[in-house]
Amino acid sequence: MTQAAIEMHGVNKTFGPVRALMDANLVVHPGTIHGLVGQNGAGKSTIIKVLAGIYKRDSGTVRVHGQELDAITPAAIEACGVHFIHQDRLLVPTATVAEAIFLRNEPHIGPFINYRQMNKRATELLKRYFDLDLDPRTLISELSTAKQKIVQITRALANDAKVLVLDEPTAALVSKEVSSLFAVLRRLKADNLAIIFISHYMSEIDEICDVVTVLRNGSDVGVVTPAEAGIEAIVQMMTNRDTSEMYPRRDVTIGEPVLSVNGLTLAGHFRDVSLEVRAGEILGITGLLGSGDKELVSTLFGQSVPDRGEIVLNGKPVSFRSPVQAVRHGIAKIPEDRRAHGVATGLSVGENIALASLDQMSGWGFVNTRTEAAKTEALIKELGIKTPDRHTMVKNLSGGNQQKVVVAKWLSCDSQVYLLDEPTVAVDVGAKVEIYNLMNRLASEGKALIFLSSDLEEIVEMCDRVLVIYRGALIGEYQRGEIDADRLLAAASGAQMEQEGRSA
Amino acid sequence: MTMQAETGRTRRFPINIETISNYVVIGAFCAMLVFFAAFAPGFLSGENLYNVISNRVVLLAIVALGMTIVIAAGGIDLSVGVSMDLSSMVFIMLIAAGLGGFVGVLGGLGAALCVGLLNAVLINKLKINPFLATLGVLFIGQSVQRLSTQGGVPIYLTRAEFAAPFNAIVRSSLLGIPTPMIVLALCLVAVYLAMHRSVFGRYVAALGVQADVARFSGIRVLFHMSMVFVACAVLAGISGILLSSTVRSYVPFAGDSFLLDAIGATFIGTAISSERRPSVVGTLLGVLLLAVMRNGLLLMGYNFFWQQVGIGVLVFVVLGLSFGLRKRAD
Amino acid sequence: MTTTIDAPNGREGQLNSGNLSKLAIRLGAFAAFAGIVIYFAIAARGFTSPFNLTNIVEQSTILGLLAFGVTVVFIGTGTDVQRGGIDLSIAANAGLCAAVYAVLMRQGFGDAVSIVAAIATGMIIGLLNGLAVVTLRIIPLLATLAVMNIAAGLELVLTENTVIPVQSPLLQVIAFGRFLGISTLAWCFIVISVLLIWALQYSPLGLRLYAVGGHHEAARAAGIRTGRYVYAAYIFAGFMAGVTSILIVSRLSASTTGTGLMLLPILAAALLGTVFSRRFIPTIGGTLLAALFIGVLANGFQLLGISSYWVAGVQGVLILCVVAMTSFAKRD
Repeated sequence: MTQAAIEMHGVNKTFGPVRALMDANLVVHPGTIHGLVGQNGAGKSTIIKVLAGIYKRDSGTVRVHGQELDAITPAAIEACGVHFIHQDRLLVPTATVAEAIFLRNEPHIGPFINYRQMNKRATELLKRYFDLDLDPRTLISELSTAKQKIVQITRALANDAKVLVLDEPTAALVSKEVSSLFAVLRRLKADNLAIIFISHYMSEIDEICDVVTVLRNGSDVGVVTPAEAGIEAIVQMMTNRDTSEMYPRRDVTIGEPVLSVNGLTLAGHFRDVSLEVRAGEILGITGLLGSGDKELVSTLFGQSVPDRGEIVLNGKPVSFRSPVQAVRHGIAKIPEDRRAHGVATGLSVGENIALASLDQMSGWGFVNTRTEAAKTEALIKELGIKTPDRHTMVKNLSGGNQQKVVVAKWLSCDSQVYLLDEPTVAVDVGAKVEIYNLMNRLASEGKALIFLSSDLEEIVEMCDRVLVIYRGALIGEYQRGEIDADRLLAAASGAQMEQEGRSA
Repeated sequence: MTMQAETGRTRRFPINIETISNYVVIGAFCAMLVFFAAFAPGFLSGENLYNVISNRVVLLAIVALGMTIVIAAGGIDLSVGVSMDLSSMVFIMLIAAGLGGFVGVLGGLGAALCVGLLNAVLINKLKINPFLATLGVLFIGQSVQRLSTQGGVPIYLTRAEFAAPFNAIVRSSLLGIPTPMIVLALCLVAVYLAMHRSVFGRYVAALGVQADVARFSGIRVLFHMSMVFVACAVLAGISGILLSSTVRSYVPFAGDSFLLDAIGATFIGTAISSERRPSVVGTLLGVLLLAVMRNGLLLMGYNFFWQQVGIGVLVFVVLGLSFGLRKRAD
Repeated sequence: MTTTIDAPNGREGQLNSGNLSKLAIRLGAFAAFAGIVIYFAIAARGFTSPFNLTNIVEQSTILGLLAFGVTVVFIGTGTDVQRGGIDLSIAANAGLCAAVYAVLMRQGFGDAVSIVAAIATGMIIGLLNGLAVVTLRIIPLLATLAVMNIAAGLELVLTENTVIPVQSPLLQVIAFGRFLGISTLAWCFIVISVLLIWALQYSPLGLRLYAVGGHHEAARAAGIRTGRYVYAAYIFAGFMAGVTSILIVSRLSASTTGTGLMLLPILAAALLGTVFSRRFIPTIGGTLLAALFIGVLANGFQLLGISSYWVAGVQGVLILCVVAMTSFAKRD
C-alpha cells in the first residue's frame, strides 16, 4: 500500500463534559474517495475541524503524507496541500470569482496583481473541471449556492490540493450539478488526490466512495467498502445503539386537530405542504440538510411569509407576518441554535422564563415581581431546571438546562403548539432523556408538538407520526411502529427516489 | 494564576477573574478619591464637593441616563448633543420672544422629541444602523443650529427682564433642595423604574443582550427600539434646558462635549455591573468618576486640556480591563 | 452535529433585480455628482475657471487624504461601523501630529526631525488603536473614541489651545510651489491617490486586506493572519494623519485648533465613496470622488453665495441617503 495521505490515530476531543471524539482514527489513501459517515453528533464535523486546525485536539497523532503535525493551524494544513470545502461557504462576498479562487496565491507581475492572467486562469479552471462558462469577474454574492461551492472547490484545485475534504458538498446542489461534481471528483481521484467525502445522502456514498469510515459516538466503528458491505450494513453500523432505556414511554390520547396546513409553499424551499397536528400528538418531520424542513417550521412561526397556502389554527385561518403574531396565537418555537435564538445567555434564568409572558405578570407597565418570582420559581421546580436560583445567568447552565429554560418560557405563556427544532442537539444523553420526558409531558397536557430532528432514532421512538420531507416536498407518512430508523434514513436520503432519478 | 483560572470555572468561590474585573472600577474610584484627597488642595471641602455635583454632574448624569437606555438596548446615540442644543436653542428663543418659561420648556422638549423621532424613523423604518443614523442627524443638527444663529453666534439673555424663568428653574429650591437636583432625582427614579422595574426595561435588556431571542419571544422589537431613542433624546433635551438656564444663554454646539463623557460613563457603569449590562447605578458612578477626575485634576493645577487626556486614558484603561478580563473569563 | 441553518438559496431572478437596483444607485450617484457639477458650471460664475478647479482640488486634499486613512480601516474591518471597525481618532490624531510638528519647529529642530516626529506620533496613535481593537478586543467604536479623546487632549496640552505659527522653506514649497502648473498640495493628493490605488486595488496585499474586511472567517480559513492586517490598517490611518498634518500646517502656516472637527466630513467622504464602487465597498477611487464631491459642494455653495451653514446638513442628508439606499439594495 502506498503512503497514506492522512493518518489520524487515537484522536480525543472534549467540549466541557461532552466527549466529542474518543480515540477516533481516520486513514485516507491517495487516489481514493473516502466517505465519512455517522449520525449527527457522531463526531464527523469535530474530526474534520481538528484536521483543519479549527479545534485543537486533546490527544492523538495526525500525519499528513507521513509527516507528523503537532499544532495544526489553518495556514499550516493548507501548506501541506490539504484543502477544505466547508459546509458554510467561506468566501468573501465582495470578491470576484477569480479573486476568491486565487486569494493568497495571486498571479502577479512584480507588485501588481496580474488580473488578466488571474481571470484567464480562473476561466480555464472552471471550464476544465466543471465545464462551466462563468465570468470570473462575477461577484461571489451574486452566485447561487451551487456555484459558490464550485468556486470553493476550484480554489482548492488552483492551489494544487493533494487532499480535498468536502463537508456535505451536495446539500445545496441540484441533480445535474451533483453528477458533474461527481465526474470532477472521479477525475481528481485518477490524478491521485485523496478525497474525504462527508454526506448524509447514503445513495451518494454508495455511488462515489471507495472506502467508508463509520463514526458512532465519537469513535470509528468500522472501515468498510460500500460495494462489498452494502448500504444497509453501513446504516446499521451508524445507528446501532441500545435504545431500550433511552426513550420514555407515555400513554397517548390524541385529541382534535390544533394546527393544520394546506398547500403551503415557500418558493425555493418547500412546496404544497399539507399536514395537521392534533392535541396531544408528537408529529415528527425529518429530512436531510437543505430539504426545506427548517424553512417549513420557521414559516409556521411567522419568520417567513409563505407564497401560497393557508395555516389553520383551532379551525380559524391565520396568517403570521412576524413571530410577534405567532406567539400571540400560542405558537412556541424551540429553535435549533439555542444560544443565538432560544435563550438570552446574558439574562438570568428568571428573566428568560418571563420574557414571553411579562404582560401577564405586570400591571401598569411595571413587572409584578412577586407574581413573576412565584411563577418562575414554580416552573424551575416543575421542570427540574438545575440552577442555584432564578437570578443565575443562563450562560452558567448546562445545555440541557438551557433547553428547559426555553420550554419554561413558552409554558409560562400558555402556548398550544410547540415547534421543536433539533431540541437535543449538543446535549448529553442524560439531558436528552429529560427533554424527551418534557416533550411527553407537553403532549400529555394536550399540547400539539411538531418535532424536527435529524437524529432518526429519536424521531422513530418519540413520534406518534413521522413525515419525511425530501427536497422541498413531503414524500412519506408513517405511523408509530410502522418504520425503523434504518428505513427512515433510507427514505429521507431519497433511496426510494433513486429509480426515478434525482428529480429536484 | 492557575488557581484563579480554576476557581473561575467553579462559580462557588467569590474570587475569580470575572469578579475581579467588577472591582477594578470601584477600586480605581476609591484610589482616585484617596489620591485627590491627599494631593489636591481643598478636594474634600464641602463646598468643592457640592460644586462637583451641582455643576457638571447634574447635566451629564441626565444625558448619560438616556445614553444608558440606548446602549442597554444595543444601540448608540451620537446625536445627544444635538438633542441638547436644539432643546436649549428653542427654549432660549421662545423666552427671548417673551413667551415665558413654560412655553419655552415645552418647546425645548418638543424639539428634542423631534430629534428622537427622527432617529427612530431612520433606524427602524429605513433600517440604517444606529451609529450612522445618529451621525447623520448630528450633521443635520449642526446645520440647523448654524442656520438659526448666523453661523453659531450665541444668544445671551443676561438682561434682568429675562431672569424670572431662569431663576425659577435653577435658583429655586424645594425643601432646601435646588430644583436641578430635584430634576436629576426625578430622572434617576424614572429611568431606574423604567430600566429595572418595568416590562419595557426587560424588553430593552433582552434587545441589548440578544435581539434575536427577543424577536423569537414575540417582542415588538421595532416599537421598543424607537421608544429607546425617543427617551434618550428627551432626557438630553431636559439637560439642555438646565444648561441654558444655568448660563442664561444658548451657546451653539455646547452639547457636543457631553457625548464622549456620556458614552464613557455608561461603559464605566457597565464594567462595574456584575451582569455586564448598562445600569442606572453604574452610570451614576461613572458620571461621578469622570467628574471627580476632572475636578481633582483641576484642583491640582492641571487645566482642561490635561483633564481631557486624563479622561481619555481613564476610559481606555477601563474599557481595556473590562473587555480584556471578560475575554479571559469566557 | 453542526447542521447550520443554510442561508436561503440565491434565486437567480431576484439576483438580477438586485443587480439592477445596485446599478441604478451607482449610476444615480454618478448622475447626481455630474448634475451638481453641471449646475454649478452654469449657475456659479467662475466655477469652471482653472484657478477655481485647482482650488477645489486643494480644498479637497486634506479631507481626501484623511478619508483615505479611514477608507483603509473600513477595507480591513468592514463597513458595519458598529460591529466592524472605524477610526474616530483620525482627525484628532492629525491635529496632534500638527501640534507636534509645530512645537518642534518652534523649538528649532528643523523640518526633518519634526516631520519624522509628527508621522511617528500618528503611527503610535494608530498602534494604540490596533492594540485596543485587536489585542484587547474593545469595540472599535469605543476604543477609537477614547483614543480620540487622548489625542485631542494631548494636542491641547501641546498648543495650550493657541495658534502656533510656523515658517519654513519646505512649508513654503508645499503651500505655494507649483510644478507643471499644479500646486504641490494637489500633487501630494494625486501621487498618494495613485500609490494607494495600486496598493489596495492592484496588489496582492490590497486583495487580502479586502478579504479580511469582507469576511473575517473566510480570510482566516484562507490562511491570512487577520490580526496583523487590522493592526496595519489602523497604523496606516495614523500614518496618513501624520502626513496630512504637515500639509495642514503648510496650508495655514500654523498649527491651529479645530482639526478634530473634520472627523464628520472625513467619515462622510469615506462612506459616500462606497456608492461609487461597483461592489458597494470602500475604495480609494470612490473616496477620492466623494472627497471631491464634498469639495465641489462647499465651493459651489460659496460661489453661489449660499451660506456655508448648509454644508454640514447636506453632508448629513447625503450620508443618510447613501446608507439607506445601500441597505435597501443589500436586502433585495
